[in-house]
Amino acid sequence: MDGVLLVGLLASGVRFAMPILFAALGETVAQRAGVLNVGLEGIMLAGAFLAVLCAVATGSPWGGLAAAAAGGLAMGLLHGLMAVRMKVDQIIAGIALILLGLGLSGFGYRLAFGAGGVGQVPGFARLDIPGLSDIPVLGPILFGHHLLAYAGVTAAFGLAWVLPRSGLGLTLRAVGENPKAADAAGIDVDRVRMAAAAFGGAMAGIGGAYLSTAQLAGFVENMVAGRGFIAIACVVFARWNPVGALVAALLFGIADAAQIRLQSLYPGIPYQAFIILPFVLALAALAAAARSAHLPAALGRPYRRD
Amino acid sequence: MDGRTLNLPRDTEARAALGLIAAGALLLPGLIAVAGENPLRVLGLMVAGAFLDLRGLADTVVRAIPLCLMGLGVAVAFRARVFNIGGDGQFLIGAALAVAASGWLVLLPAPLGVVALLAAGTLGGALWGGIAGVLRARFNANEIIATILLNYIALHVLSWLIRGPLQEAAGVFPRTDRLPPDLRLPMLVDAARISAGLAVALVAVGVLWLVMARSRFGFQVTALGENPEAARYGGVRPGLITAAVLALSGALAGLAGIVEVAGVHGRIQDGFGAGLGISGIAVALLARLNPLWVPASAFGFAGLHVGSATVARATAVPFPVVNVIEGAIILAYLAALALRGRQRAG
Repeated sequence: MDGVLLVGLLASGVRFAMPILFAALGETVAQRAGVLNVGLEGIMLAGAFLAVLCAVATGSPWGGLAAAAAGGLAMGLLHGLMAVRMKVDQIIAGIALILLGLGLSGFGYRLAFGAGGVGQVPGFARLDIPGLSDIPVLGPILFGHHLLAYAGVTAAFGLAWVLPRSGLGLTLRAVGENPKAADAAGIDVDRVRMAAAAFGGAMAGIGGAYLSTAQLAGFVENMVAGRGFIAIACVVFARWNPVGALVAALLFGIADAAQIRLQSLYPGIPYQAFIILPFVLALAALAAAARSAHLPAALGRPYRRD
Repeated sequence: MDGRTLNLPRDTEARAALGLIAAGALLLPGLIAVAGENPLRVLGLMVAGAFLDLRGLADTVVRAIPLCLMGLGVAVAFRARVFNIGGDGQFLIGAALAVAASGWLVLLPAPLGVVALLAAGTLGGALWGGIAGVLRARFNANEIIATILLNYIALHVLSWLIRGPLQEAAGVFPRTDRLPPDLRLPMLVDAARISAGLAVALVAVGVLWLVMARSRFGFQVTALGENPEAARYGGVRPGLITAAVLALSGALAGLAGIVEVAGVHGRIQDGFGAGLGISGIAVALLARLNPLWVPASAFGFAGLHVGSATVARATAVPFPVVNVIEGAIILAYLAALALRGRQRAG
């Protein structure tokens, strides 16, 4: 493979990584606070649909992004309501979110756009950073992306600072590691967890919006196609570390971009062998990382005062 | 009025649960109204299409067969708190392995061939579920994510099989050839196209109930789910039971897959069995993970599918409404559990 192809591959790998990154960052925060949401796939689907619906309605991708974030936030809150306030099984509540997201996005799409399809979707334009994007090789890979991609990378590094170093990060981790001690220290455990669940939902919604209005331009039923679950695998693989999640998401993005190119490079091999690459990679990553993983001690456990 | 005299819990958990149930009850009529239809008329049509008309009722029974088998698999797994979400993949691999073997199985004497076919489907599902089981037992890989990833892998493997090695001899469509007549399940009710798959499903219910209620394995599964620490102390090997549960759960999904081929379609094609896995989860939860209740729950959800299809044909309400209802039912079920739990505690 020559240099030009490789630059193109890495550049689109970065693009493909972003929906997974946003969802994984939100889930990292939620899980650090003790809330396990397996329904990211459903939230991303709802976000992808809302983004297209509202981008078309308002004529701007920002309108779509805002709607996707709000919809994701609402679904995150719904999960929090079940998992944190009502203290029911978090995993089953997450499964319900998958069904709700799948159903609501398919329902809304068929109703709003019907057989005619969406048509032109106002998507995010590329934002070449002046000067930097002209650097050979690195320019197109790192500095020729949508504004949202820069926001995603910034969020990863921002969270990497917030979680271990700030008071807010300490509060979050306390609630996820030792809710009893956090409660004794005067922290409202349930409120912090609700906020983390809402944040996780909003980020998954933004990931969905990225998919439908920046990476692609339009909505197709079930278009998230497993990225929500790959994002959870990223969180585990990265051991609840935001920069690790960025690296893991990039790995999957590049694998995804590579498999598309490999399909056309090797027409003799069934294309399905390449499509499954990211999924096989996620499975291997899950098995490799989980053995030694230190997961948040109170992950998935509701807190009740005795 | 004092809540205590009504024996209603008055804390935030109960308020949240009641609010959620109320919101859920308004969601469905709300969505139907958004689609510009009369909610009462649509709901009436849904019930009538699934249960009141003879053809609809037959469709509902046909649909209930795979849902019942998959619901059984989910019920066993969830009892151990092993979250097998990979029913779809296990269903596909079971069907594919059995169809791949059908060329040899047809050489067996008549009733034996069908039995071997069902066994091959069961084996395929067990293998696919077993992969997640080994990953969990050996590497502590979360089975929720593993089984879901295996779903996507199975989907693409099947897509290749029906375009490659298993494609029909004519080579036109992405689908397999029909199974030879000797390998098809006999019809119980010919006019309604209800096959002996119904009997297979009901036998599976009986066997699973016996295993769960009477056997040592069933006891260990339940013990692991209810209190893993105590179970380990009592001699249960969690890794082994978890792997076995995933294989058994996958076996039932694989059996559902081949029963669907041999009893209904006769062949595998694109989109075969899509979405049954996650519906199976709803079936198992509403049956409260009790094998004996699974057939009734499967019948109800099958009716929901058939009724939603009727509604989608006759009105402007699109079919995915079925997933919204399933999700809402699971949430309402959880909310009801939360309410009951508090009542008992108070």
